[in-house]
Amino acid sequence: MRVSLFATCLVDLFQSNVGKATVELLERLGCEIDFPESQVCCGQPAYNSGYTKESKEAMKRMIDTFKDAEYIVCPSGSCAFMFHEYQHVFKGDPVWEPKAKKLAQKTYELTQFIVDVLKVEDVGARLEGKATYHTSCHMTRLLGVKEAPMKLLKNVKGLDFTELPGKEQCCGFGGTFSVKMAQISEQMVDEKVCHVEETDADYLIGADAGCLMNIGGRIDRKGKPIKVLHIAEVLNSR
Amino acid sequence: MPMKISNEQFKERVSKGIHDDFMRGAVSSAQDGMGVKRRIAAEELGNWEDWRSHGEEIRQHVLENLDYYLEQLSNNVAKRGGHVFFAQTKEEANDYIRGIVREKQAKKIVKSKSMVTEEISLNHVLEQEGCEVIETDLGEYILQIDDHDPPSHIVVPALHKNKEQIRDVFTEKLGYTKTSKPEELAAHAREKLRQEYLTADIGITGCNFAVAETGSFSLVTNEGNADLVTALPKTQITVMGMERIVPTFEEMEVLVSLLTRSAVGQKLTSYITVLTGPKEELNVDGPEEFHLVIVDNGRSNILGGEFQSVLQCIRCAACVNACPVYRHVGGHSYGSIYAGPIGAVLSPLLGGYDEFKELPYASSLCGACTEVCPVKIPLHNLLLKHREVIVEKEGKAPISEKLAMKAFGLGAASPTLYKIGSKLAPTAMSPFKDGDKISKGPGPLKAWTEIREFPAPNKERFRDWFKNREEGGK
Amino acid sequence: MTGTIQNREVFLNKIASQLGRTRITAPIERPTWKFRPQDEVLKGATQDELVEVLKEQCKKIHTTFYSTDKDQLSSLLDEVVSGYGGGPIVTWKDKRFADWGLDPLMKQEWPEKEMDVYEWDYTRGSENIAKAEQANVGITISEITLAESGTVVLFSDENKGRTVSFLPTTYIALIPKSSIVPRMTQAAQKMRQIHEETGHVASCINFITGPSNSADIELNLVVGVHGPVKATYIVINDL
Ligand code: SF4
Repeated sequence: MRVSLFATCLVDLFQSNVGKATVELLERLGCEIDFPESQVCCGQPAYNSGYTKESKEAMKRMIDTFKDAEYIVCPSGSCAFMFHEYQHVFKGDPVWEPKAKKLAQKTYELTQFIVDVLKVEDVGARLEGKATYHTSCHMTRLLGVKEAPMKLLKNVKGLDFTELPGKEQCCGFGGTFSVKMAQISEQMVDEKVCHVEETDADYLIGADAGCLMNIGGRIDRKGKPIKVLHIAEVLNSR
Repeated sequence: MPMKISNEQFKERVSKGIHDDFMRGAVSSAQDGMGVKRRIAAEELGNWEDWRSHGEEIRQHVLENLDYYLEQLSNNVAKRGGHVFFAQTKEEANDYIRGIVREKQAKKIVKSKSMVTEEISLNHVLEQEGCEVIETDLGEYILQIDDHDPPSHIVVPALHKNKEQIRDVFTEKLGYTKTSKPEELAAHAREKLRQEYLTADIGITGCNFAVAETGSFSLVTNEGNADLVTALPKTQITVMGMERIVPTFEEMEVLVSLLTRSAVGQKLTSYITVLTGPKEELNVDGPEEFHLVIVDNGRSNILGGEFQSVLQCIRCAACVNACPVYRHVGGHSYGSIYAGPIGAVLSPLLGGYDEFKELPYASSLCGACTEVCPVKIPLHNLLLKHREVIVEKEGKAPISEKLAMKAFGLGAASPTLYKIGSKLAPTAMSPFKDGDKISKGPGPLKAWTEIREFPAPNKERFRDWFKNREEGGK
Repeated sequence: MTGTIQNREVFLNKIASQLGRTRITAPIERPTWKFRPQDEVLKGATQDELVEVLKEQCKKIHTTFYSTDKDQLSSLLDEVVSGYGGGPIVTWKDKRFADWGLDPLMKQEWPEKEMDVYEWDYTRGSENIAKAEQANVGITISEITLAESGTVVLFSDENKGRTVSFLPTTYIALIPKSSIVPRMTQAAQKMRQIHEETGHVASCINFITGPSNSADIELNLVVGVHGPVKATYIVINDL
């Protein structure tokens, strides 16, 4: 199966580990990975700040970049959702709306792709330790991917899993919200970190680079001994 | 109380909220408790999504045909002997009500909870007329005797107050001598208010849902205060936002069910009162005269535009109870009588962007509000729409942000620029690096790194790794 | 007597123009809705099952539940009233009390025990309200009873004062078993039907679910705020 990877800018620039893990994992599951070079940012930061006009250029670029892809897989629920959102942004546009619809139809978040398309729930991963999982808002509420990460994590050998209290609550990232409303964002991420601590977990796992950068950054600043892992890294560990 | 409840800047209000420990404890336990109750009440039905879709289709149909239903309603109210006044502005509404007060030479007025009368500052107008105005909802009553403290929640207005504070207010203002036990406080209020109902000249209510087919309207309470307000005084005035209407009792029933489950997790509240006209000829209780005031006050400007769906709102506050921002800043931070997500969407529409321009940004767009809204208002999308309007039509975004976004537009859309920019990032960031992280970031990163570490850019971008790997043959 | 309507045309014209059309003049048929989830609740439940649902729900709404046959009603009612501390009592003026064999209790036994029993009498005007306000117990009959929510539905008229159900300190609803329906849906349908048949709607239709309560102080539930502080439902099985 040919998979075109939409890596996201955060992964490209700051978390190449996540990208590497995604590639290795998918290859092991029998996929052939292609990374369209002309991919840029999906436009979400500008779009979510109200700069729809500015973000449209990036969106068009992404639509073109992935136009020949068979499957598009993205290791971030929020960015995958953004691809699904394009069709609404271009609503009524005779040229771009149909293209955006096509893009949405073939775009999957990583765990969703593994469970729903590859039909795999046990990827043969092993990781010793106590873990909890942050269900990112865009991934669960907007993209609607709720079960897939849980199904996959359940089958990771050695992982002792505890549910995160208040798991449905936002971590306070929200893109530019985290700097624009820093005061409020701080309270939100603090509560999240408290909840993570309550679980006594060694690992905080998530499927969205943005949330992880936020919670992880706060955990680091507070000097807590909790390791933050992207779910691709967990599923790729053996 | 006008819609705007504070002259402080948004940041100051938020800061006050964040430092109010009691309020934050109260709000988070209220959110947790009410959130669970709401979820149970929704899930026990087994087909909640159908209920929401039904609520949505009813509300959308009504808004699309609003002029028709308001005409039908007013005809039917008049047929039953009620008087209907259509008020395009709050001044018109207040003038009309003032006229009734003068005609009746009213001295004492009892009210049951109504957001729209808060919105038009009716109490202030009545007090200027020399009337004693008494709020009878327990929460509102507490706020009122505490020198008009503004409400902080649509359904539980005095949520920000603890029982000791309430006891102190009762002691000071009502000569109360008992403890801070909620039962004793409530009993005292009951006793005080009983006398007020019996001696009031006018009763004023809001309206949960008007019913066009019969000219009726419904009031939803747990305390039973609306029943007393409408049964005892000789004159009754009901003030409704023009969109709070349904075709028949059957749709009213659905929306009442959605409201009580979403607001308080109850199948129905203790009192749902459906009133039609003034009392009938031989009846003893009920008003002799009934006035319905239908208020626009900016609502019609929302019709037909991209924010129309906000008028589907049934004021259940489920979105408020689910909102993580409200959780930490509380109701007063919004600076509007309408707090939480619905407040962030509605306040700029009714009160203008100048007053409420920060509110659409006070959201992480997490979608928790949209998920719980019983009439499927896409709240987080509407917040996003506001941002778009602020940037594109109102031109109210900061210049620096505009420039940054312009650059973003260029950079993100152009693979070449993106490549150059991202290649340079590690070098550009290197002065700020502290190992693999940045603890004191420049420019826009500063706000981030005041709270959290920021990762230093990878030395090798993912795309370079991938390319090398391809070329190197794995 | 017809009421007045002021300021309507400009107001409604503005709405129509915002909606991008002219005013709607032809009547709108009630739409056939795509969704009807309300019909699914307690669908096909028997009357006995509905009684059970009602009984369970009473626990959640702080309401005492009894069921009885008509011939036991009088003694049960007497017991409940004594449990609430006796009179003064206020009731609707309703022939059904006599039909159900309550006259001896209401008109003889209670007065003989020096309990004040007041039957609503519109000819006495505001005295009715004073009586209701002083009463310890208010007694009414439920016309429609909603099993799902534990709600009694009362329609006001000249003999059925509104205040009987909410001014007294405690409240008792007599519920013919046949009045029990699954939920508010059926009540709303009935209300429309009555309106269609008679062209009339009672000026006050009350849906009462247990005693009055409030959670306005620190979200602590206080039972008994403006209305009754206690409530009892008595289901009469053979009615
Ligand atoms: S927006 Fe929706 S959830 Fe919020 S108060 Fe209105 S109806 Fe309730």
